[in-house]
Amino acid sequence: MIPPRLTTSRQPLRLLQDRVATGLITAGGVGVLMAILAIGVFLVWETLPLLAIGDTLALAKLSPMAWGTLKAALSALLFAIPVALGAAIYSALFMSARLRSRIKPTLEMMEAIPGVVVGFIAGLILAPWVERHLASTLVLIIWLPLSAALAGLLWQLTKTRLRRYFPLSWAGLWLVPWLAIMMALALWLTPWIEQQWLGGDLRLLLDQRFGIDYATRNALIVGIAMGFAVIPGIYSLAEDALADVPNTLIEGAQALGASRWQALWKVALRAAGPGVFSAVMIGAGRAVGETMIVLMASGNTALLSASPFEGMRTLSAAIAIELPEAAPGGLTYHLLILAALVLFIFTFLVNTLAEVVRQRLRRRYRQMGGPS
Amino acid sequence: MTAVPNNAASPSYRFNWLNSLWPWLCAASVALSLLMLGALLTLLLVRGLGHFWPATLEEVTLRSGDIFAGHAVREVALPLQEGDERLYFTGNRDLEGARWRWVKVEEIVERTQPVDLIRLERSPWDDFIGRLVAVEQAEQRWEGEAAWQRLTALLALPASQRQESQLLLTTANGQTLRQPLANVIHAQAPNAMSWWQKTLAWGDAVWRFLSEGPRAANTSGGVWPAIFGTVLMVILMSVIVTPFGVLAAIYLNEIAHQGRLTRFVRIGVRNLAGVPSIVYGVFGLGVFVYGIGGSLDEWFFSDTLPSPTFGTGGLLWASLTLALLTLPVVIVATEEGLARIPDAQREGAVALGATRLEMLTRIVLPMAAPAMLTGVILAVARAAGEVAPLMLVGVAKLAPQMPIDGEFPYLHLERKFMHLGYHLFDTAFHGEDVQAAIPLVYATALLLVLIVLVLNLTAIFLRHYLRRQRGNEC
Amino acid sequence: MLASLHSANTAQAPVTHFSPEHCCLSIDHFSLAYAGKEALRNLTLSVPRHRVTAFIGPSGCGKSTLLRAINRLHDLNESVTHNGRITLEGQDIHGPHVNVTELRRRVGMVFQTPNPFPMSIYENVAFGLRLQQRLTKRKRDDIIEWALTSAALWDEVKDRLHRSAWQLSGGQQQRLVIARTLAVQPDVLLLDEPASALDPISTLKIEELIRNLKSELTLVLVTHNMQQAARVSDYTAFLHQGELVEYGPTDQVFTNPLLQHTENYITGRIT
Repeated sequence: MIPPRLTTSRQPLRLLQDRVATGLITAGGVGVLMAILAIGVFLVWETLPLLAIGDTLALAKLSPMAWGTLKAALSALLFAIPVALGAAIYSALFMSARLRSRIKPTLEMMEAIPGVVVGFIAGLILAPWVERHLASTLVLIIWLPLSAALAGLLWQLTKTRLRRYFPLSWAGLWLVPWLAIMMALALWLTPWIEQQWLGGDLRLLLDQRFGIDYATRNALIVGIAMGFAVIPGIYSLAEDALADVPNTLIEGAQALGASRWQALWKVALRAAGPGVFSAVMIGAGRAVGETMIVLMASGNTALLSASPFEGMRTLSAAIAIELPEAAPGGLTYHLLILAALVLFIFTFLVNTLAEVVRQRLRRRYRQMGGPS
Repeated sequence: MTAVPNNAASPSYRFNWLNSLWPWLCAASVALSLLMLGALLTLLLVRGLGHFWPATLEEVTLRSGDIFAGHAVREVALPLQEGDERLYFTGNRDLEGARWRWVKVEEIVERTQPVDLIRLERSPWDDFIGRLVAVEQAEQRWEGEAAWQRLTALLALPASQRQESQLLLTTANGQTLRQPLANVIHAQAPNAMSWWQKTLAWGDAVWRFLSEGPRAANTSGGVWPAIFGTVLMVILMSVIVTPFGVLAAIYLNEIAHQGRLTRFVRIGVRNLAGVPSIVYGVFGLGVFVYGIGGSLDEWFFSDTLPSPTFGTGGLLWASLTLALLTLPVVIVATEEGLARIPDAQREGAVALGATRLEMLTRIVLPMAAPAMLTGVILAVARAAGEVAPLMLVGVAKLAPQMPIDGEFPYLHLERKFMHLGYHLFDTAFHGEDVQAAIPLVYATALLLVLIVLVLNLTAIFLRHYLRRQRGNEC
Repeated sequence: MLASLHSANTAQAPVTHFSPEHCCLSIDHFSLAYAGKEALRNLTLSVPRHRVTAFIGPSGCGKSTLLRAINRLHDLNESVTHNGRITLEGQDIHGPHVNVTELRRRVGMVFQTPNPFPMSIYENVAFGLRLQQRLTKRKRDDIIEWALTSAALWDEVKDRLHRSAWQLSGGQQQRLVIARTLAVQPDVLLLDEPASALDPISTLKIEELIRNLKSELTLVLVTHNMQQAARVSDYTAFLHQGELVEYGPTDQVFTNPLLQHTENYITGRIT
């Protein structure tokens, strides 16, 4: 059987189509990339008039907000870094694989919760609660890590048979009720302690004895709320870096006689150090630029205070509040765009640094014969 | 896998023993994160859905002889004193001047739950809590049980068919009120309801929350315009972002010379996903609204100046800004999908005499389609929860007109619109009666979180499914 | 050992040439480099029409690179530069008026690992046809049946033409890829280690198919399996480090090689 000969009359048309389409895709792609680039150009262009004015007083107006941004980001990181890195270390190195495949997406899901919801909970629910239970909150901050250590201590004192029901590889899950019980215990006991030693009300004591003002919406609240928002990002990236540490490294260290924890601490953390660092950087970028949470939970008072019990106003919140009212072309308008430029440059640099570090780390792992 | 050091005999025993507590602290971090997430979601679920459950109404007699009706909201300790105080929702703003009443618990002499207490939803003046005495219609008059039956029968009719009627009401402390039926939206006698009736009423209340517009300065009613605005804005955004994101990804991955420049551009695009959303809002305001919108007004709508048409925030500018914001998400996801396609597929097509366009459209793009879809869903999830940039480019606390209506050209791109996230922010922080709005804010927050989580879960499952499918092939 | 290797590189064995009427593909002083690194050095040989020619040599010797050059697949990679001429039926394939897609239709290529497209068996074979011209469904069905029959696959898949091609076994997939290539009626079929990823039975089927196909078209086979080259090819070229070492009728190259180096490779003393 011999098939009919094929004709090739469509050839020129096909080639033309191909050339036109390639041209269009190139034009479209370059166009889109240029549009993205235009963000930076626009911000710089709109801040140029400020140079002409050269008003240093105007710049001084930004400094409390720059301070507020730093304070908010730092307080968030102070809460987020230990929790996120602890979670990353545990789930990358100790957690059972089955649990990990469930927990990791769950924690990453945290990131999807809109900032406006977190801000609402923080500003309207958490802030008044903390104001009423300041002593309990402070006690909890110390008590929670202690109770975790207590769980570990009890675990080591128990008989082997009981241990099998509560393995360390599942501790992330069964510590949840433990922590909840410990939390309830602390909340139940603290008012009594407060009554005995602190004269009934810590807030009053702070005010009268030390002259510390307490604002309902303050850095403590922002730290908890924004920390909550930043944790999943840091956790996810740091976990990836730690889980990718070639197993040969850890086994090599254990073969030298290091206990598992020492091996992990000395080898895995050091190897994954740059990855962990870049995770923290990206978290910092997010904390600096977050708008809705600080808008709702920070009180928006432009203060230059370092107290954790006072509010602040961040650059992003200032933009969100003042820019719609600022007349285009006016001094405030340009100043706020300068604020946006500062945020843009900061986050862009931080992210680039993190990305470069991450890529270098990936290359190093590959050389050490790790996965992928 | 045990964390217990087995070198107990070594001199560093004590040190190791303390050291082995570290994993427990790390495990507690996971537990704490889960606890916080669980607490947040539970709080939203319980308070968001619980608000719609018909609350039992109480008649409270105080030591002073004062009587009022309402439902208890919460109880807190009195500052600097022994004892607690309780917050009641009492409604009747037209009669009492407030909808709330704080009462010291020790002052309460008696609490009863009479079955004849009813609760009316009205507009204006919002809730009424008290008793129904009679319904008057033209010459007729119903009293007692018959009055309640007549009222429910009337309310079951569509608003246009209801006859002109008057309700005769009394409050718990004996004030009387004549209420035109036209202002009554809904009536309920929660104390007389069975459990099953309450469930039905709950379902009805949830449905009305989703399908009705806000009332009483956003402190009651529903969120339908906000849902509609959010969905419309997100649809417009995805219509814009999908083709451009895919185009840019194809260019970067398939056409551009894979040199140093392309690598820098790729890192740059990736990093733009980390730039704060408010910065995109500033860009949208400066370029889209003031720049392009201002010029459009000068050219085409000069007769209505100085009041702006496109020169102010609106649906189109909001969609464009969010499209720009989510562009990196789509580009990165699509590029990932493209990079996953084995070169053997491309070479197979090319070796059969396919041009690059034919290879792309017939082999590569169909294979990358799930990845693109994942990217778009992630973009939509991000856009649905994003509020900060919208505050600059066109969201409104209460939009007088919907962006789609029967008037030519049907889709009004220049109009301001309502958005779930902004609605939440505004009601919670700028409302006149935050206390009354909080239950609705909870419900709105729950709705927003549900939408975003469902979108994200879809993207995760899609990606998972995609990887499994690829895994079988290789 | 080293000395012999060295002498082999300098001494050039007599290379078989074919008269223009028997020559299908001729490679003339062809060199190719990846990003400046030379992969093929000054190759000259000609491939006879309707015969099977095998390229053998240790891995990295450039045999696959040469095969891909005949299909101009290197066009996809910008860092590749080349020098010299390859002519197909007397026409320079890099010439200014050559249509690459038409060239690739005439020179079919089958890769080491089977790469069926993620679509049905029928659509896989129809893929190339649809690009070339609009055919009536009956005509297209005829060609597809013919192509699958020629690839000795028709009987196995005729009942499930519309199932996914990824459900086929590795050997079936490779024959499907051959059928897909045959459907666009190429003059030359390049096979890049077509059986290296397959089990022995599938390998035998592919080899039988290659022998049967040579009545219809010219085949070029790259393989690192010496027995396979001896079993199916008429002519054999031995390449080493990007250079042609020896080229002649398969019988002669395997039983009585002219150079010591070739013999060393064939007998497995170097790999």
